[in-house]
Amino acid sequence: MTEFFIRRTLQSVLVLFLITLVTFGLIHAAPGGPFQMMLAPGLSPEAMKVQAHNMGLDQPLPMQYLHWLGNLLQGDLGYTFKNHVPIGQVIWPTVKNTFILMGVAWLLTLIIAIPWGIYNSTKEYSLSDQTASFISYIGFAMPTFWFGIILQQIFSIKLDWLPLADMYAMDKEGQLGDLMMHLILPVTVLTLSFLAAYVKYSRSSMMEVLDKDYIRTARAKGVREGKVIYKHALRNALIPVITIVALDLPLLVAGAALTESVFNWPGMGRLFVQMAVAREYSVLMAITLLTAVIVIIGNLIADLLYAVVDPRVQLGKRGGRSA
Amino acid sequence: MAEKLLEIENLTAGFLTVGGTVKATEHVSLSLDKGQTVCLVGESGSGKSVTSLAIMRLIDYSGGAILEGSIRFQGEDLTKRSQDEMIRIRGNKIAMIFQDPMSSLNPVYTVGDQIAESIMLHRKKGKKEAHKMAVDMLRLVGIPAPEIRAKQYPHELSGGMCQRVVIAIALACDPDLLIADEPTTALDVTVQAQILDLLRSLQKELGMSILLITHDMGVAAEMADRIAVMYAGIIVEEGSANDIFARPSHPYTEGLLKSVPGLDGSRGDELYTIRGNIPGLSQLPVGCRFHPRCPHAKDICREKSPPAFRVTEGHHASCWMYMEEGGAAAWKNESKPEVSR
Amino acid sequence: MSEANMQTSAVIPPVDVQAVKPLKRPPGPWRTAWTKFRRNPYAMSGLVVLLIFVICGAFAPWFTKYDPAKIDLMFANLKAGTDGHLLGTDEMGRDIFARLLYSARISLAVGFSVAAGSVIIGTLIGSISGYFGGFIDTCFMRLVDVMNSIPLLFLNILVLAIFGTEFRYMIMVLILTSWMSVARLVRGTFLQLREMQYVEAARAIGVSNFGIIFRHLLRNASFPIIVNATLMVGAAILSESALSYLGLGIQAPQTSWGLMLTNAREFMLVDPLQSVYPGVCILLVVLAVNFIGDGIQDSLNPRQKMSERRIDRWRKSFLKSKI
Repeated sequence: MTEFFIRRTLQSVLVLFLITLVTFGLIHAAPGGPFQMMLAPGLSPEAMKVQAHNMGLDQPLPMQYLHWLGNLLQGDLGYTFKNHVPIGQVIWPTVKNTFILMGVAWLLTLIIAIPWGIYNSTKEYSLSDQTASFISYIGFAMPTFWFGIILQQIFSIKLDWLPLADMYAMDKEGQLGDLMMHLILPVTVLTLSFLAAYVKYSRSSMMEVLDKDYIRTARAKGVREGKVIYKHALRNALIPVITIVALDLPLLVAGAALTESVFNWPGMGRLFVQMAVAREYSVLMAITLLTAVIVIIGNLIADLLYAVVDPRVQLGKRGGRSA
Repeated sequence: MAEKLLEIENLTAGFLTVGGTVKATEHVSLSLDKGQTVCLVGESGSGKSVTSLAIMRLIDYSGGAILEGSIRFQGEDLTKRSQDEMIRIRGNKIAMIFQDPMSSLNPVYTVGDQIAESIMLHRKKGKKEAHKMAVDMLRLVGIPAPEIRAKQYPHELSGGMCQRVVIAIALACDPDLLIADEPTTALDVTVQAQILDLLRSLQKELGMSILLITHDMGVAAEMADRIAVMYAGIIVEEGSANDIFARPSHPYTEGLLKSVPGLDGSRGDELYTIRGNIPGLSQLPVGCRFHPRCPHAKDICREKSPPAFRVTEGHHASCWMYMEEGGAAAWKNESKPEVSR
Repeated sequence: MSEANMQTSAVIPPVDVQAVKPLKRPPGPWRTAWTKFRRNPYAMSGLVVLLIFVICGAFAPWFTKYDPAKIDLMFANLKAGTDGHLLGTDEMGRDIFARLLYSARISLAVGFSVAAGSVIIGTLIGSISGYFGGFIDTCFMRLVDVMNSIPLLFLNILVLAIFGTEFRYMIMVLILTSWMSVARLVRGTFLQLREMQYVEAARAIGVSNFGIIFRHLLRNASFPIIVNATLMVGAAILSESALSYLGLGIQAPQTSWGLMLTNAREFMLVDPLQSVYPGVCILLVVLAVNFIGDGIQDSLNPRQKMSERRIDRWRKSFLKSKI
């Protein structure tokens, strides 16, 4: 157990370190140097030098990297170039908003998808099963942002039932009911695009389990069919589903940048797009790192869940699934 | 005469497929007395397992159905029971064990839980008491340190150990009939003998009947009071173990017995094999199903399917050889059956 | 005639050689696959749809007399059908049908070049990693880990923000975030082949085994790579439209479906249909490409359960393009 955690932590640290290198490297590989444009325009070369010196830009790259990394380890993400606001202040509120949006969409997806998949596993090729297949084909091939736009046109503009965008109406900041109204459209978009995949996954996983000998044993014992499914089959069927959900964590964390942009949702994804357009590199680096950290923690949680659900899995000795 | 526990009459069971109904067993009749062991013997694909699943009415879950016939267990016809009624019989009065013990146990529950579940279901015991009884069951099936084993998961046990657990699950509610579908096939030879011994001693102790399904004539010889030989979905010969081994009367049974390697045969003796393969269920031959492989096939065999003829009292064979009175040993005097290579 | 034949002919009357028709050479794997592919209605309709789009894109000037980039405010927001504007004009007087046609060009170009580039890079990295193993392998696999810990859309946006939104950079960055699956596949095949007897044998007689493995690799892994590539085409088209929609992809005066959606969204009160057309085009092309990929896969390996495999593969490409 301890050994597992130590090993995983070391691995994670290595991955994080590589990510800092990659992002830092990428930003400094930009033609003309990344911070060139950040300096106030129209400065004399001398003044430019002074400013560059103040920002530490005249130091050799490895020194800059170490400096940045040192600050990072102390929790100092730096400041934005334009307004010189602490980056933490810019990011943290959006993290919360993203979690609200993605959390709701995610929970809804799982709550609908797993029972639906299980139902379909016992009713192969039924109308319900075909519907799920159809949704999955469309869901995979349709651009999510387009789907969002279409929903806005129908439900916000034509019918005027739901708010077009944003998280709260102007005068209703912080009201739960208003938040719910604003959640409906983006959550629909996100749920519909992931729903089908999860339905299919839980269906196929369940079908595989229902074919197993131990299900026959359970029936031979005189267990009710309902109980066979929710007690004997479900737990086994959930094992692969957990893996998939864990692998999708980057989505939860990054937020769907596109959906957030379409619905003007003040989340991390939209912030990332805005900052990219504004070329606020430090913010981009910070968000990238933050998402990576959350993804890694998520994977760790998935491993723990795995060990809880499946007694065959001993932490650190897991076969089959690679980290 | 002993009390009849199970009477199968005219059982036809099959699977519904896109291409129509495929009959896996046809007109199977079989009976089992209290405390008796009957072996159902045949090659894989002969319909043995389908018969057992039909008795349990588990065939409904594998896309199959009972098409015809009756299964009378303790006087009531199981084919007329709903699945809701069957769950009170399954695991309680009729229990079943399967071929592969490792995959027959649910990997996410402890073996104690899995035994206790059956006790809680049928004996209406509380969780604690059921677990105590589960430990007792483990002790009964000869598992050392049962208190510790009960808390372990199937993957922590060996194959033989798992089969003991499977037997413990089956016997937890003291069933009247135990159906054992190839209980030793997946196990090592030494473990096989242990499991068979265990089944025999438990049968004596608990007084149940056993329907043992096997492809292994050796197992049948060791366990059976009566033997029914199945071929391509029908019972071709049925009789007491003595009858079958002393006077095998259907050419197929004789072939099966001859193809068991004996320790007495000298090395280098050609082992007998029945030529050809068991036909697929969708391409059964017309007439006697065994005729394409039969060394004694006559014209009538190619045209009409033989009914069960009486060989001696309580010994029947479905072969045209027995149509005429006294024809019992007619073909035995013919030339030696051909040995196929 | 050999001795064995002599003996046989003593028993069996000799066969009249002339009377026996020469056996037809059994069809090769490609031909068998094509036969199966042709019988798959989904795959064939996918192929037809894709061909239509390819023809429309390649010969765009034949289908419309309008220049998609020509701004003429005199003719802004024309209704469909007026003055030969098949689908009308947008807010700047550009012919919508012409824009759709020329966008097909861009989208398909992006799709195919990204797929081709990813196959090349992925095969290269995969074979180096699989052939040398050890430290190099570990390095590449860590790199894959890193890539999988960052939401890939973030990485796309980051790179485009740094290097600028030029077409070649977009292709580059899409390749950069697509090669991993091919690399994994090739690496796996390489590891398998390395263990094989004939490679040992080849080494014994002094043949360069990299060459041998590579040749076998092409034979063994070419089909899975092709299937993978078709899915990458779809994913790349989705990514391109997403990036263009966010303003980080194709820039005016060039045109792309994603870009058209950006414009259409601003004018959705005026002309809601404008945002329908490009989305439908994206949906159709991606669906077509995915069906073709499935068709290829199924024509090669009918044993696996079709629907589940499809979901698995589609999901992977989907995650890539939508995060």
